[in-house]
Amino acid sequence: MHFILYAFINTLFVILVSPLFVSLIKKVKAFTQGRQGPPIFQTYFMLNKLLSKERVYSVNSSLIMKMTPYINITCMLVASLFVPLLYVPEPVAGIGNVILFLYLMVCAKFFMALAGLDAGSTFGGMGSSREMTVSAVVEPVVIIVFAALGLLMNTSNLHEIFSSSIKSSLVFNPAAILISLSLFIILIVETSRIPVDNPETHLELTMIHEAMILEYSGSDLALMELSHSIKQTLLMAVLINVLMPFGLALEPGITSILLSSVLFILKAVILSVIIGIFEASFAKYRLFRLPSLFMLAFFFSFSTILFELLR
Amino acid sequence: MNDIIDVFFVLILATAALIITVRTLSSLFNIYSFQSLFIAVVAVVLFFQTGNIVLLLIAILTILSKALLVPYVMRRIQKNMNLKRDVEFRYLTPIGSLLVGTLMIFLVYRSFSTLLSELSYDDLFFFGAVIGLSITLMGMMVIFTRKKVITKIIGYLMMENGILLFSLFIAELPFIIEVLIVIDLVILITLATILAYGIDSTIDDFHSKLNSFTLWFKD
Amino acid sequence: MLLAYLLTGIVVLILMLIRFPESEKRANYLNSLSIVHTSAYLAITITALITISLPSYFANRYFFMDSFALYETLIACSVFFLSSFYSRGYVRRLMQSGEIEVRELRVFYAAYNLLLTVVVFSFYCNNLALFWILLELTTVLSAILIVTLNAKENIVAALKYLFTASTAMLFSVIGLILLFAMTKNNTGDGNLNWDILQQQGNALPPTLFTFAFIFIFIGFAAKAGIVPFHTWLPQAHAKAPSVISVLLSSVLLNVGIYGILRLYAIAHLNPSWHTISIILIVFGCLTVAVAAFSMLPRGNLKKLIAFSSIEHMGFILLGIGIGTPLILFWVLFHTLAHALVKTLLFFSAGILHEQYHSNMFEDMRDIIKLQPLASWGLLLGCLAITGLPLFPVFISKLNILMQIAAYSLPLLCVILLLFLLVAGAFTTILIRTFMQKADHEYESYPAAMSMKVPLAVLIIGIFVMGVFFPTGLQNLLNNIVFSLGF
Repeated sequence: MHFILYAFINTLFVILVSPLFVSLIKKVKAFTQGRQGPPIFQTYFMLNKLLSKERVYSVNSSLIMKMTPYINITCMLVASLFVPLLYVPEPVAGIGNVILFLYLMVCAKFFMALAGLDAGSTFGGMGSSREMTVSAVVEPVVIIVFAALGLLMNTSNLHEIFSSSIKSSLVFNPAAILISLSLFIILIVETSRIPVDNPETHLELTMIHEAMILEYSGSDLALMELSHSIKQTLLMAVLINVLMPFGLALEPGITSILLSSVLFILKAVILSVIIGIFEASFAKYRLFRLPSLFMLAFFFSFSTILFELLR
Repeated sequence: MNDIIDVFFVLILATAALIITVRTLSSLFNIYSFQSLFIAVVAVVLFFQTGNIVLLLIAILTILSKALLVPYVMRRIQKNMNLKRDVEFRYLTPIGSLLVGTLMIFLVYRSFSTLLSELSYDDLFFFGAVIGLSITLMGMMVIFTRKKVITKIIGYLMMENGILLFSLFIAELPFIIEVLIVIDLVILITLATILAYGIDSTIDDFHSKLNSFTLWFKD
Repeated sequence: MLLAYLLTGIVVLILMLIRFPESEKRANYLNSLSIVHTSAYLAITITALITISLPSYFANRYFFMDSFALYETLIACSVFFLSSFYSRGYVRRLMQSGEIEVRELRVFYAAYNLLLTVVVFSFYCNNLALFWILLELTTVLSAILIVTLNAKENIVAALKYLFTASTAMLFSVIGLILLFAMTKNNTGDGNLNWDILQQQGNALPPTLFTFAFIFIFIGFAAKAGIVPFHTWLPQAHAKAPSVISVLLSSVLLNVGIYGILRLYAIAHLNPSWHTISIILIVFGCLTVAVAAFSMLPRGNLKKLIAFSSIEHMGFILLGIGIGTPLILFWVLFHTLAHALVKTLLFFSAGILHEQYHSNMFEDMRDIIKLQPLASWGLLLGCLAITGLPLFPVFISKLNILMQIAAYSLPLLCVILLLFLLVAGAFTTILIRTFMQKADHEYESYPAAMSMKVPLAVLIIGIFVMGVFFPTGLQNLLNNIVFSLGF
């Protein structure tokens, strides 16, 4: 019973809150460039507009193209169960396992790559191949980072990680700082932000993620954008709740949920501003330089493991 | 107190990793000043902990010479020689360097945990020793894998930082200050020579010999 | 007693500041000051040898004089004395050909005299840390001396020297700190003085001591020219002016070996002595091998001599590694013999360089007709350095080789083969050079008397050393070996 309540509240919160951060990052980047930028609720308006438009499919596409948006949103919503945003429930069989969490996200990415190929256009194929190349190099690093996180907290269940991080304040633990650096780099990579990939471009030479969803239109596109923003929110939540978990409740109660939602939005806003400024300070890396960035994340997580052993 | 020192250890390690991989020269100098600054902060925290005045002197000396003076001189050299980036790597690209760096940290940790057990030490000394020696070895790696002289000098300075960190915890050595002064003297003379004579950016004649294994057969 | 050294040095440096407008006079004046300086040091050393009871301590036990230090200082002062004579004519010639500027003369001579002071004080140092600092100072000063000729290769060679030596010395600091921590652990008060370390030698934990030894060894080996830290040596010795090459080869390499030998004396008391011996023997063999193979294709005279220095240093290291008292006696004598012969070789090379304006063998034609004294110096020097009888190197090499045979016969065979290579290299090069006829008329360069006299003195000197072995020297060397604990 409690778990169904938790699932309902968590999922609703994630869907409501995710588009906010996307447009917030855009606004921060616009400010750094001296522009006004789109209004903060622009993504909501865009999703609204897209839902009422019609879908157009290419004649060469198959079932994959029609299925992928639904598979994506399903995977993301199930993954959102793994990351408690408002309060941490009792762990229920299997939900919260880090490996399963990562695999759900990879599954979504896989189907997106297939769909990019499916429409038969060159942009889609190019985007899929680039995305898979980057992913092939980054997945081991992601596993190592989350393994280091698990070693740090002595558990591989995200729910338990969050509850143990509430109990012991971690801000001054050096291993936590290192792992946050790694998690930040993973966040940039998985959500296709500069310096890995430009999320606002549609130029052939620079698209990776955008190329794969180029062929979508209408409510399909809305679902893809929503799942992308949910992925970003989930990864931000992991970073926030590892480093600064105060406000995360352990019991469901009206006041505690309201307080934790306000605090989460606040912390996520700060993190979005940081991401925006970080994005604005770099140019997009050329493809062969991306492994250096991943190696930095690998280095930091390896040092985390070492520091854990040193204590 | 110990936590703050641990945090700064982490930051110092992060700067070392960045120095290995960064390619623009001006960010290299900035990262190096930050590294020296962090080490000076560690010295100051140790001073508050143990009350040894030598540590405060070391911190001041480090900030003055390594965080301010040396990067300033190097920026003058860079402006004179019109260099912007150092993109030539030899033997190891940034990825390989980071991997080898990780391996070196691991090796140092393993050997120290067996060797230093014969000495009575506290955790902080062990931590500092491991990181100090790792940064020294990573600095040596920078010297060997880069071609331009400026970057080699930064590698040498990073080695010196590592040794400073290594020696901070045995703080009764007042000779560390003299060691630092002598090393800085060496570096400043080298830099002054380069500035005055305008050495080319790569010392290339002997490296090419090394590469083609004709080490003994040319004159 | 130490104050005498210090005062002489300061007085000379102050006197150097007096300006002389005319270039010739200034050069002569500065040179005379150097001669006075070096002869004063020599006199003080001999006085100390005769009068002071050893060992004696100075300045709060930071400095001390014992037989080993006095012996090495004697060698250093003699070499400096002879080369200050030689530099009179050499610098004058350099000024004539424009390779040196007049205003740089003061820097040159100041660095020269400072180098002598620093080297002497580093020998007298009791504290390892102070020894390290003085060693780094010698690196800096000798690099300044190499740069005096304004050629670009000189600057590159000096930078490489500075860099390689300083990087290796940084490793030494790690070793020093570990040593300090070990002694602090043992007695509660860390100390880095040679005599105290020698007392505590057997109480230090073996594996950690080996670790620290290797680190400190890296630094000293780079200064002494041991493979694989020797990369700076051929270039630095070849490009430097011959006066400076003498100093580099005969004195500075000795400082490195001095440090290694003192460290080895401490290691002798430690349970890890056997491992350390093997390490030193391996490095020694490697050095001799690399040097022997590098000598064959040489075309540059000074690089040939430089590689010969590396080979001898490797041989000395091999002797130190084996570590019986008898071999150490002969190793110490070998340092003296090597210093003298190397000085002779570089002096001759200097005169030949001035004659032919090049160091390459194929440019040296009609040597005996043009430069009789220098060519005899070169010939006798090369014969001496490979160990012909009647020369001092023969005695020391023979005895060291006999000790190696007592230690291990295969090692002896390898070393003999390598020496055969060395001898072969010297022979072929010498025969080829001395038979070259001039294709056009060369003008004979009249070497100044100040350059010829040290050469003649050295030739006579090495003959005397090779034939007579004064009992005073024998007693001194016995004393040293005994005081080191063997």
